[in-house]
Amino acid sequence: MFTKTVTYTMLSAMYLLILLLLPSTLAAHHGWGWATSEEFEITGEIVDIRLGNPHGEVDLLVENDVWVVEVGQPWRNSRAGLTENLVKGRIITIHGHRSANKDVRLVKAERVVIDGKDYNLYPNRES
Amino acid sequence: MLEAFIASLDQSPLALMLRGSLWVYPAVNTGHIIGISLLFGSLVPLDLKLIGMWPKVPLAPLLRVLSATAALGVGLALVSGFLLFITRASAYMDSTIFLVKMFIVAAALVNGLILRVVFSCRNLPEWVIDGVAPPAVRLAAWFSLFSWSIALILGRLIGYVH
Repeated sequence: MFTKTVTYTMLSAMYLLILLLLPSTLAAHHGWGWATSEEFEITGEIVDIRLGNPHGEVDLLVENDVWVVEVGQPWRNSRAGLTENLVKGRIITIHGHRSANKDVRLVKAERVVIDGKDYNLYPNRES
Repeated sequence: MLEAFIASLDQSPLALMLRGSLWVYPAVNTGHIIGISLLFGSLVPLDLKLIGMWPKVPLAPLLRVLSATAALGVGLALVSGFLLFITRASAYMDSTIFLVKMFIVAAALVNGLILRVVFSCRNLPEWVIDGVAPPAVRLAAWFSLFSWSIALILGRLIGYVH
């Protein structure tokens, strides 16, 4: 009887601690929770491209600042027809959401526009 | 020395293939989740039994089945985890959450091995009297539950924290 009470108390305490730990550190990368909900648009020149799993990044030169744009993982970029159209020196426009942390120049792309053509990474999301 | 080794992992043909792959990487990712599910799904009932739940259920058959499936899960999770790691080895080595997770996984594995050695050498089912295991075993079972739970949460957080 005593063992059972102790066991249940310890188990509840453990999972309570785990639940408390969870939301405190969420910040970036996967998902959208780390970005603002406002639609964001930015245009610049591609200065570096780092594609691949688990997700790709493109550096954009905008005026005198370099912005990091998170694009998709290989299958998502490929499905959008974007992969071969990301070329250094090109001017591209990103529609997406910027990081809620205003100190970092980081955007998660939903849709990319190159020479007037849309490359939609998230067809089911408004962008 | 370590940095050079990590950098060479980053540039290995296997890492290049995983980084650029459309479907191999998601498949490895899925394999990691299957391994973890199998491990966690086996160890939770086993640990709870050792802690003292279900005192009338015999330990021996549970132990035989669940330690085998847990070992299978560990094997799958380790192999797939290594492949996920080398896809971006340098980036993961910079992640505090990843390093803490690896430390906890190592501690949890050692704890599991100790329990395993105790089981096979001493025939633990005979130690369990009226469904109550010795305090050292109960402590190890608590540690197992706790450490694997934390490892799981930290693992999930790696992808969400810069």
